[in-house]
Amino acid sequence: MKQLQRLGYPLFLGVMAVLPHLLNSRWQAVAITFLIFSVVALSQDIVLGKSGMFNMGQALFFGMGAYTTAILNHQFGWSLLATIPLAILLPALFGIILAGPIVHLRGDYLLVTTIGFNIVFVQVLQNNLGGITGGPNGIFGLDSMSLFGWQLTSQVAVYYFAFAVLLATLWVMHNLEKSKAGRALHYLREDQLAAESIGINTRVYKIFAFGLGAGIAGLAGTVYATQYSAVSPEAFDFIQSVLFFSIVIVGGSSVPGVLLGVFVMFVLPEIFREFATWRFFIFGFAMILSMILRPRGIVPATFGKIPKFLIKDGSHGA
Amino acid sequence: MDIFLQQLANGLTIGSMFALVALGYTMVYGVMRLINFAHGDMVAASAFVGLTIYTQVMGQATSLPAVIAIFLLSAVCMACIGIILERVAYRPLREAPRLSAVVSALGASLVIQNGIMLIWGPRMRIFPELVPQVYWDFGGVVISLIQVIILVLSLVLMVALYLFVEKTRIGAAIRASSIDQDAARLMGINVNRIIALIFIIGSSLGAVGGLFIGLYYRGITFNMGWQYGLYAFVAAIIGGIGNIPGAMLGGMLLGLFNAFIAGYVSSTWADAFTFILLIVILIVRPTGILGERVAEKV
Repeated sequence: MKQLQRLGYPLFLGVMAVLPHLLNSRWQAVAITFLIFSVVALSQDIVLGKSGMFNMGQALFFGMGAYTTAILNHQFGWSLLATIPLAILLPALFGIILAGPIVHLRGDYLLVTTIGFNIVFVQVLQNNLGGITGGPNGIFGLDSMSLFGWQLTSQVAVYYFAFAVLLATLWVMHNLEKSKAGRALHYLREDQLAAESIGINTRVYKIFAFGLGAGIAGLAGTVYATQYSAVSPEAFDFIQSVLFFSIVIVGGSSVPGVLLGVFVMFVLPEIFREFATWRFFIFGFAMILSMILRPRGIVPATFGKIPKFLIKDGSHGA
Repeated sequence: MDIFLQQLANGLTIGSMFALVALGYTMVYGVMRLINFAHGDMVAASAFVGLTIYTQVMGQATSLPAVIAIFLLSAVCMACIGIILERVAYRPLREAPRLSAVVSALGASLVIQNGIMLIWGPRMRIFPELVPQVYWDFGGVVISLIQVIILVLSLVLMVALYLFVEKTRIGAAIRASSIDQDAARLMGINVNRIIALIFIIGSSLGAVGGLFIGLYYRGITFNMGWQYGLYAFVAAIIGGIGNIPGAMLGGMLLGLFNAFIAGYVSSTWADAFTFILLIVILIVRPTGILGERVAEKV
């Protein structure tokens, strides 16, 4: 397994690096979608998988990033590249502000609260608060991205932008796992009471996880706005959040698991187009079946250096 | 003043529907500590099953016995689906990590919702007029016969359920299982049977709620379950989840709140205000209005 992982990552990244040159434009678009949703799902994994908080509102931060980019570009004429810092900071800040009063809630209550935030967000967009979100239709016609004077108009350019964002996300997650914060989050997820008693400030780390996840999702939002050069409220509905939530749990909150989940949810339907109406019907069964067969996910996250016999089943989450 | 009384009547009607559906959530949560995300879709399915029973079985009759038969048959259908759901999607996951059961519930929700779409089609269907259109005008406040029926029948069902849970031996077994499943098992209670019973009761009440939604709003769509289900779930949480009177209170409060927001502020903001209310209540009282304070982990 270890060997496979050592070989698997370079192989995956190598294939992804040359992929756009092998595909026609329709499949390039699918591949970009795969990259964007992978980043959002990985950001969800930081909050849900790594820290064990039942967050079902990740599409809110994804949408906030996309809308930040779209509004700044369309209404205020910023270049797309210049919107990136704000598209990360604003969702991260909101993640911190929203998480502050609610992170102490018990699992299921937190879940419903985050759904609530997502629904409020979508209604704000639909009701065109402040007259800048474009109402139910959203915002159309963003500029194309330009980098040091080059116009990145081609799909391949957007693909590499999305790929760079995925690499950055993987790098952040890799560092997080090795860091003090990552270990703190891991203990927190395993047993909050124990974590608190060994001196971990659980509240600060929980809010930190929310902020980090929100910032990464916001960055993915910028890529989304660039790819479609449009944003609209229903793309960030709480149903999307439910999908990201399911992807992380079904995948098993490990990087290969999450990527596999995104592939199954967003790429397979493109391959089997004729079964489009059956898509969610079959996915529903697949979700039940995969949970019954592998309750910890298809590719369960490995538990650092904790010996196997110490991990008891059922301790997952509150 | 007229708007106030009118929205009061509307709010009580909507609230009693929320409360009926919320009971299904709260009872399942009380015993299994599981959000049954598929419950809202069962409610939607009930409206479609009722529609089909009306056209295929009852020959579009709207006499009183026929209407009662539609309600009973739909409730029986939903109770069966509820039992199957519990057997297939939830029982194998009782010992699994909690999030696995949540995802299984979401999967079941997708299956039912898209099953409705595959059977009845994606477009909105019009629910039959089972109750004659009778209106009473009380000096500007219009109340329909449907509203009265929904309110009275819901109250009757809720009182009956309350008495059943509080006064009977089976009710005591339900309460015992919701406090501690293992201890209940040691006392000779067949917890599996109690859980099946809870799914039967919850699904039947949800079925009645689904038919009420069809009667009141007329237009039914395959994906309406998420919306009403989420509202009912919020009602259950506001009242303190796992608490049966709490679900009734929460449903009524939520219905009234929703109606007053729609009447005085704007109907396009109703969802947002509802969830802001939920968040505020949870921040102030993390276990809901009638919820007990629970120790986290001992």
